[in-house]
Amino acid sequence: MNKFRIGPQTISLLNGKSLLTILLLTSFLWSLIQISWGNIIHPGGGDALKEMLSGFFNPDLSLPILRRGITAAWRTTAYATAGMTLALLIGFTLGVIASGSLPIGGRYKVLIAVIARGIAGFLRGIHELVWAWLFVVAFGLSPLPAVFALALHYGGLLARNFSEQFVDVPTSPLNSLTTAGATAWQTLVYGRLPMALPNLISYSLYRWECAVRSAAIMSFVGLGGLGFEIRIALDDLYYRQVWTFLFILMILVLVIDTWSSLIRKRMAQ
Amino acid sequence: MKENGLNQNKLGLDALILPVSFLSFLVLAIGSWGFIILIDGADLFELFSGDSFREAFGFLQQLLGVGAKQPPAFFQAAKWSHALILARDTLVMSILAIGLASIIASLTIMPSARNIAFGELTPAPKYWRIIFILFRAMYLLTRSIPELIWAMMIIFLLNPGIVTGSLALAAHNIGILGKLGSEVIEDMDPAPARSLRGNGANNGQLFLYGVLPMDLPQLLTYLFYRWEVIIRATIVVGFVAAGGLGYEFRLNMSFFRYTDITLLLTVYLLLVWMVDIISVALRKLAR
Repeated sequence: MNKFRIGPQTISLLNGKSLLTILLLTSFLWSLIQISWGNIIHPGGGDALKEMLSGFFNPDLSLPILRRGITAAWRTTAYATAGMTLALLIGFTLGVIASGSLPIGGRYKVLIAVIARGIAGFLRGIHELVWAWLFVVAFGLSPLPAVFALALHYGGLLARNFSEQFVDVPTSPLNSLTTAGATAWQTLVYGRLPMALPNLISYSLYRWECAVRSAAIMSFVGLGGLGFEIRIALDDLYYRQVWTFLFILMILVLVIDTWSSLIRKRMAQ
Repeated sequence: MKENGLNQNKLGLDALILPVSFLSFLVLAIGSWGFIILIDGADLFELFSGDSFREAFGFLQQLLGVGAKQPPAFFQAAKWSHALILARDTLVMSILAIGLASIIASLTIMPSARNIAFGELTPAPKYWRIIFILFRAMYLLTRSIPELIWAMMIIFLLNPGIVTGSLALAAHNIGILGKLGSEVIEDMDPAPARSLRGNGANNGQLFLYGVLPMDLPQLLTYLFYRWEVIIRATIVVGFVAAGGLGYEFRLNMSFFRYTDITLLLTVYLLLVWMVDIISVALRKLAR
C-alpha cells in the first residue's frame, strides 16, 4: 500500500496550484518558440570561452592590477554608499507619507498617501542605469548623476518597503500608547518607528548590497569603478584581468553580506 | 541591557556589533561623500547652478518634443507599433531568463541547504559537503556579477540577440534565487521530513512530500519577485545584448532622437507595471 497517497488536502491544492503550473510552463514554452534558434553561437565563441575559462582559473594577481582593482572597489563602494544615504532620506520620507501613518493632511490624507506611492512607483520603475544615462545627458558627466540615479531608484524601492513595514507593525502597543494619552505624532515616533526599525535596517542593508552592484555598472555611462575596469579589460581581451576584478567584486559582496547577516542576527536576539 | 553571567564574554562581543557597525556606517557615509567631492571632484555648486538647470530643462523639452520640426515619436502610430513589438521581445527575454534561472536554481537548492548537506534532516554522506560548497560558491559568483557585466561577457560567446540577453539575466538570477531558495529550505520545520524519513521515505519522496509542499509558496513568491526585477533589468541588458527595448533606447540616445526615448520609456514603464500586476495576481494563486 502506498503510504503517501494523495489526501483530500492535496486535491484542494490542485486547483490553484496546477493552474499556476500550467500557466508557468506554457509561458516558458511560448518564450522558447518565439525565439529564432538558428545562428545563436558567435563564430569565435569557442575560443573566447576557452580563454575566459583559463582566465577564471588563472586570474592576474600582479600588484598593479590588484591595486587598481582595490581602488576601483572603493570608488564603487563610495558611489553606492553616497547614493544610499540620499535613498534613505527619500525612502524614509516617502515611506512614512505613503503608509498613511503621518497625522497630517486631514481628509486628504489618503490622497497624499496615494500620490506618494505613485511617486515611489515611478522612481523605482525606471532602472538606475537609465536614470544615470538621462542625468548624464542632462547635467554632464560627473559622479553626481550616478549617485542621484542610485538615490532615486533605491529611494523608490525603500519607500515601498518602509511604508509596508510601518503598516505591518502590531497595533496593540499603538493602541495602548493612544489610550495612555499619546498624540498621533508621539505614537508615530515612540510606537511605529521603533517597532519597524529592525526590519527597516535589515532591508536597507540588503539594498546596500544591491546598490554596490548597481554602482559597478555605472561605468556604462562613463563613470569609474569596478565596472569600468572590467569593461576596459574586456575591450582589450585581457580575460585574466577581467576575472581579477570580478573576484574583487565577489569579495566585496561577500564582505557586505557577512557583515549584514551579523547585524541581522544581533538584532533578532 | 542585562547580561547573563554564564556567557558574559560572548554576549559582550556580540553587543559590540551594533554600535561598531553604526559608527562604521557613519564613517563610511562621510568618507564616501568626502571622496566623491574632494577626490573625484564632483562639484555640487556647479550642479545646482543656473546653467546646469537650464541645460537639464532644455533636455526635458527635447524629451517632450517642444519646438521640434517633426511630430514627436509618441504621436506616430508606426513608432508605437514598433515599440510594442520590441516590448514583446523584451517580455520573451524576461520569461526565458526567469525560466532558465528557476530551473537551474530549483535543481541545485536542495544540496545547497545547510540542513540537508550537513545531515540534520537525513544522514548525509561526506561528499555532500563538497557539493554544498561548490554550489554555494557558484551562487556567490553568479549573483555578485551584475546582469550587464554578464551580458558584456556573453556577447563574446554568442551573437547579439534575445537569447544572449536572457542568458545574462538568468546567470545573475541563478545566484540570487539559489541563495534565497536554499535559505527557505534551511528555515523550514524539520519535523514532517523527519517523520517521513522515520517511516522509510527515500530522498525523492522526502523532497516531494516533506519539503516541496511547505516551501513551494515561498519559492514561488521569490520567483515572481525576481521576475519583476528581471523585467526592469531587460532594458539595461538590451543595451549590450542588442535585444528588445534596451538596444533601441541606446540607438536613439546616440542619434539624439529624444522623443523616441520618451516613447520607449513609456512603453517600458507600462510593461513593468503590467508585469507587477500579473505577478501580484499569480502570487495570490500560489498561496
